[in-house]
Parts: sequence; structure tokens; C-alpha cells
Amino acid sequence: MSSEPLLRVENLKTQFFTEAGTVRAVDGISFEVREGEIVGLVGESGAGKSVASMSIMGLVEAPGEIVGGEITYKGETIFGLEEGPDGELRKRDDALSDEEIRTRIRGNEIAVIFQDPMESLNPVFTVGGQLREFIELNRGLEGEEARAAAIDMLREVGIPDPEERYEEYPHQFSGGMRQRVLIAMALACEPSLIIADEPTTALDVTVEGQILELVDDLQSKYGTSFVWVTHDLGVVAEICDRVNVMYLGEIVEQAPVDELFYETKHPYTDALLDSIPRPDRTVTELEAIEGVMPEAIEPPSGCRFHPRCPDAREVCKRVHPEPTVIADADGEPHRAACVKHDAFDVDYEGSPPLAGATRETGDGMAEGTASELAPNPADDGGEDRE
Amino acid sequence: MSSGLRLDEDREYDSEGPLLELDGVSKHFGQESGLLAGLQFDASEFPPFTVEQERVRAVDDVSIEIRPGETLGLVGESGCGKSTLGRTVLRLLEPTEGDIYFKGENLADLDGEALRQTRSDMQMIFQDPQSSLDPRMKVGQIIEEPMRAHDMLDDEGREARAKELLAKVGLDPRHYNRHPHAFSGGQRQRINLARALSVDPDFVVCDEPVSALDVSIQAQVLNTMERLQREFGLTYLFIAHDLSVIRHISDRVAVMYLGHIVELAGKEELFENPQHPYTRALLESIPVPDPRENGSRGVLEGEVPSPVDPPSGCRFRTRCPHLIAPDAYDWTGEKWPRTRAFMRAVKRRTFEPMPAARIEAEFFDGTPPRGEAGSIVAEAIDLVATDGEADGDEADRWEAATDLLLESFAEESVCARERPAYDLESGDGERFAACHLHR
Repeated sequence: MSSEPLLRVENLKTQFFTEAGTVRAVDGISFEVREGEIVGLVGESGAGKSVASMSIMGLVEAPGEIVGGEITYKGETIFGLEEGPDGELRKRDDALSDEEIRTRIRGNEIAVIFQDPMESLNPVFTVGGQLREFIELNRGLEGEEARAAAIDMLREVGIPDPEERYEEYPHQFSGGMRQRVLIAMALACEPSLIIADEPTTALDVTVEGQILELVDDLQSKYGTSFVWVTHDLGVVAEICDRVNVMYLGEIVEQAPVDELFYETKHPYTDALLDSIPRPDRTVTELEAIEGVMPEAIEPPSGCRFHPRCPDAREVCKRVHPEPTVIADADGEPHRAACVKHDAFDVDYEGSPPLAGATRETGDGMAEGTASELAPNPADDGGEDRE
Repeated sequence: MSSGLRLDEDREYDSEGPLLELDGVSKHFGQESGLLAGLQFDASEFPPFTVEQERVRAVDDVSIEIRPGETLGLVGESGCGKSTLGRTVLRLLEPTEGDIYFKGENLADLDGEALRQTRSDMQMIFQDPQSSLDPRMKVGQIIEEPMRAHDMLDDEGREARAKELLAKVGLDPRHYNRHPHAFSGGQRQRINLARALSVDPDFVVCDEPVSALDVSIQAQVLNTMERLQREFGLTYLFIAHDLSVIRHISDRVAVMYLGHIVELAGKEELFENPQHPYTRALLESIPVPDPRENGSRGVLEGEVPSPVDPPSGCRFRTRCPHLIAPDAYDWTGEKWPRTRAFMRAVKRRTFEPMPAARIEAEFFDGTPPRGEAGSIVAEAIDLVATDGEADGDEADRWEAATDLLLESFAEESVCARERPAYDLESGDGERFAACHLHR
């Protein structure tokens, strides 16, 4: 723990400037990834986990923009802002240029795997051709050599009959096989870090099992680190070493995976764990979380989870908690952003409970509130809009 | 059930028999991808052209019963035919073969007005809460539409009922005049529920109703669906790919693979003691939300075969880890599992070409089977080994080896020759498993 982590993200803020207002998609998150680790970014849709991972790669597009924070990779600043003479934010001089990030970092050092493999592959070129081009560009191999390397990679990720399938087009591959191709592409340059954005969400459960197994094998072989973005707590339990739980643009809990499931410190994480049906035992009544995630344009005051939180008290409306170390898990800090813990000296015990704050009908219609008249009364953060 | 929402309490189905019964139902689709797609040319025949339709056998000979008041979970991976089955049950798709009985009446015998009447007793909820609601209609109109179609109540009555249903599904009755776009995914799914319930059905087919929803919203909708089931006395056919959801909501569960039902049992029985290798593989591949649960991850080999040309006998046999040894040969010790592994490795070409001795070492621990089976294995090894005597193009040799192994072993297994179907004894009565391991 003394050595410099592979990736350090500090106080990262990414915002989207829309007509309806500024969406604070990622609002000051900090975490790190060490060598050989799989770090989970978990949350529901709209939590900001995908935007966070794209920010690391510098892949945020207009109207989105990273407006604050610092990202360090292997000791080099790959993103940093400072205030210019006229008060404008500008890139710091010691940060790598876009050119350097494109040629040196992206692909070679940090690779990405997206959720939908069909969108990441070009339908008019053969799978092998795309993989070869990627290897030619990034590894300096040419012609036959690059082709051989590409076929090796396809075999490595478990694609049967790789020579034959090298010549095929993406549509001739099944979803699971396409995802394997993307993993092959990500691994082709032996990067130190792979950012995987819901890579198994679109896959069937047996195929997901195959892919997780493959990732396990490859990770022990190459020692690659992963940032694993997912909403599935099952996948988290299965593969992550440490986990960051996100809610409405913020990290609310950060802990090693066992701690997170067995010594849960944040009410949101607790509620999430209670609301999922279990494959391993029969749950008669699911404890649903009241309401829906509010929009990131106007997040609730204080703790952003307080309108839905069963433990919310008066103080939660006023005090905005930052993730703070509240327990020690074998030398690993366990952070949570909830004022009910003693580490926050805000007299939570003495604060009156928020009676009726969450008494809503159905999933999110607060009776008689102002939002009732809004055009989008309770949009659940793009759960499946657009 | 005296909530006042039941419109037809006098028509309550109180028979002992199943509410819905499928008897050998199949649904095949023709592949009509182009004008000349099915055209085959054969110069030796006259006329030299034949039109041959490839048929996708999405659902093939399925017989199940759904009991009044229960939730039957139908689970399977994408492409297994579960949605097609759901639609066929409602006769949204015409079955290619087989009979469907609803409340003892054969749906095929009904037509026109009688079918329309029966349909009001059977409703459906779709997966995508966005595209299943007309964006130009108001919520009230959406909920009233089925009632109008079935000529139920008058305008005032319909409006009153729509508002009452909105409250029942957990929405505010004052949203009667809103458009669907103003609602979140979870709320839209509640509107779908209200619409389905408006005509007071007895039976609802729910096709992946919560799979597009976030987990916290999913729990809310599932809880509402359970409450409505109790209140309205509904019977659900609940189609989903998510085994955790199925375990939560179902009373009995049917597992589907490539158009066949492979196992059907009570929920607890099925999840705690699966009797079909596919069910077991499915259960073992679910990631369990518990980091201390480090049981082995069951990884299923290969991919689902095409439903155009499904395997004979048991459709799961091409991937089954327990494919039964063909009786034609003598097997001792580990010889059959090793031969099976070698056969599949050759078929999928998962290993690099290597000398014969190394293949024997890798797959058979140096001692390949003897006797007739042994000579077939030896011939196959010779075909794919780098130092083999067979000549010809590499791809052709692999293909020859694959054909040889499959024809000699896989096709000879009882799994390939007979379609399995076994009724088993179990704690809570009958269960069904389509696997020859239960011979």
C-alpha cells in the first residue's frame, strides 16, 4: 500500500451542460486502482458510473466536460486542471497532451471494453482485419506477423477455430463471441489497466459465466488491473477485490468486497442488497427502496440519498457527508458517506427522524409535492429513457 | 376477491383441472428472407429447381399445464423459444401443431366472437415499457382501450375503473390525463399492469416484465405484481431469463432449451435439487451476490445450436457434460469422459495442431482407449496430428476427424437416438426431467 497505485482518481467532476441545466453526472469522486486488482464501480442507471469510467479515458464528449479533479496513471498526470490568469479553467502544463494520451496511453496502457460489442465493431470489416489493424497500430507488427498475433489472441480468448473465424464479419459472431473479440482487442497490447463498462450485462447467464471465467484466467496470467463498471451485485461479489458504490454522481461507500457485503456501512448499499432477489435462497418479500433516484440536475440537499433513506434524520437534509474512513478492514480503509457514523460529529443521534419523508405512493410519486406538476415528475435517471 | 374490481365473479373458474393446458404445441417459422431465398438448384432433377423452406423450430412439442392461481416461471436463455411460447399461448401466434386448452376449451375451436371473449380473460405484459405504450395516447385512454375493445362498461364506468386501477398499481389517479413520456420505466410498467388488468383477466402472460428495470425499481414492481395476483386472483405465466427473479416470483418453474422444456418442477425442488444437466449448468453460472460463496463456477462449453437444424434426441447433448457413453463400445475407467472431451475439442478446434504423441498425452494421459473405440480415436488423431499420415488440406482433415468422431460416438449415444422424457417422483408430487440419466 505504500507504493504508488496504478491509477489514482481525485475529486473528479464531470458535468453535462444541457438546456435543462447542468447535469452533475460525476460530482467529486476519488478512488484508486492498484496493480493486479479488480475494482468495482457499482450503481443503478444514472449513478454516473459509466461517465466516471469514460472520464478516465478522456472520452467524454460535448455537451459533457470534465470540470475538475486530477487523474494520475503510473505517477503521470493524465488529466489535471488549473485556474488560468483570467479565471478560466485550463489544462495543467504537467498533464499529458491529447496526442500523448492517444498514442501512448489509450489502448497501450489503458483499454476499454464496452457493453454492446456490436457497436464497438465495424460491421463492414472482418473481425480478424479489425483486430490486426489494432495490433499493427499499437504494437508495430506488420503483415503476416500481425495476422499471426491476431489469430493467437482469438484463440487465447477461447474462440473456436480462430483461423476460419478470422475471416468472418461481426454479424456472424454470437454476442458472447463478439465480447470475446473485444476482450482480445483490449488484451492485444497487454495493457496494465482495462476499463470494462458492463461487459456482461447484455449476455446470457451461461455466456456471462464463460466470460467471467475467461477474465479470471487472463487476469492471473497477465496481472492486468480492471475497473469493472456494473449494476450487478452478483458479478461484483464474484470478481471484484474492492468496490465503490455510486449514488447520484458520488461514491457513497468504498470497501473491500467482503467488508461491503458483510459489514455494510451505508444505508443505500444496505437497501440495494435487500432489494435483489437471490439465486441462492428464496426470499419471500423483497424490501424495495422507496422512490426513484432523483435527477442529477438538482440533487437533494445534504445527503443525496436522504429522501429515500430509512435512517434519514433532520441533519441529513443539511449536512453533505464526504466519504470518510469509519472502519478498518485488515489495513484497508472502509469509507462511507453517511452521518449516522460517529466519524461525522454532527449529532445524528440528537437529530429528529425525518417522519414521512419517504411516504410516497408507488415508485416515486411524492404526494402533492411540487414535482407533481413538472413535465418529468420522477424521472429515474434515465433508467431506460433514450 | 370482493374488491369490486372483479367484473365477472360469477364466471370464476373453479374447476379442479388446469387453467391452461398445452398439448404438444409447436411453433415453426419459415425463413422468408427473400424472393429466391428458398430456391434450390439441382441439375439432376426435373424440374431442376425446388423451393425448400428452412424452418426455425422455435417451439417444438411442448406440453405443460398451468394451474389456477399459480405463477409458472418459464426460464431460458435468449433464443430458446420462451417468448414465442408465451405468444403462442395467447394465440397471438398461430401454433404450427398441437392444442391449447383454456378452462377446458380448445382455443383452436373458438373463432370470432368466442375467441375475442376468451382473449379478455388472457392478457399480456411486455418487456419494453417504452415501446409498449402509445406515446400519443393519455394514460387513461391507454388503460381504457382494452375495455372499449371488449365493450365493457360505459364511458363513465371506464374512467372510474381506470382511476381505480391506477391507484391499485401504485400510481396517482390524478395522472389519468398524462402522457406516457412523463413516467419513468418502472411507472410505465405499472401502466402496462393497469391496462392488462382493466378487462379483469384470469391469466396474464408476463414477458420479461422487469428485466429493463433497475434493481430497486424491479423490487417495487415485483412486489406490486404479487399483491395484484392475490387481490385479483390472477394466474401468471412469468417469462424471464433472470433465475433470481424466477426463484422469487414462481411457484413452479419450467426450464426451456432450444424449443424444448427440459425440466419442470416446484421452485424449491428445482433450485435446490436440479435434475437436468442444463438446469444445473444454468444455476451454477449465476453470479451469487455473496463474496464468501466461492463454489465452483459451472462453465458450460460451446454455444446454443441453430434451431433450424437442432440436434436429434436430447437437444442439449452437444454441450452436455454428462453425454452418455454409446453402448456399442466397451469403456473402462475414465476412457469415455476423455474421449468425449477429445471429440469436442476436435469439433471446436480448440487446440493447436500438434504431434500425435502430444495429443495422446494431453487428452488421454498417454493411454488412449483400446478396442474398436480405440481404433476410431487413433484414426482421428492421425487425421489432425502434425505428424499424421493422412494427406489433404488441413481444414478437410479436421472436418473428416470431426465427422468420424461424431458419427462413431455422439450419434451412437442414447442421447442422440431417443428424445428423453421422464416423470420423476419428488417430495411435492410430480416433476419432469428430459434427461436419459433418469433411465
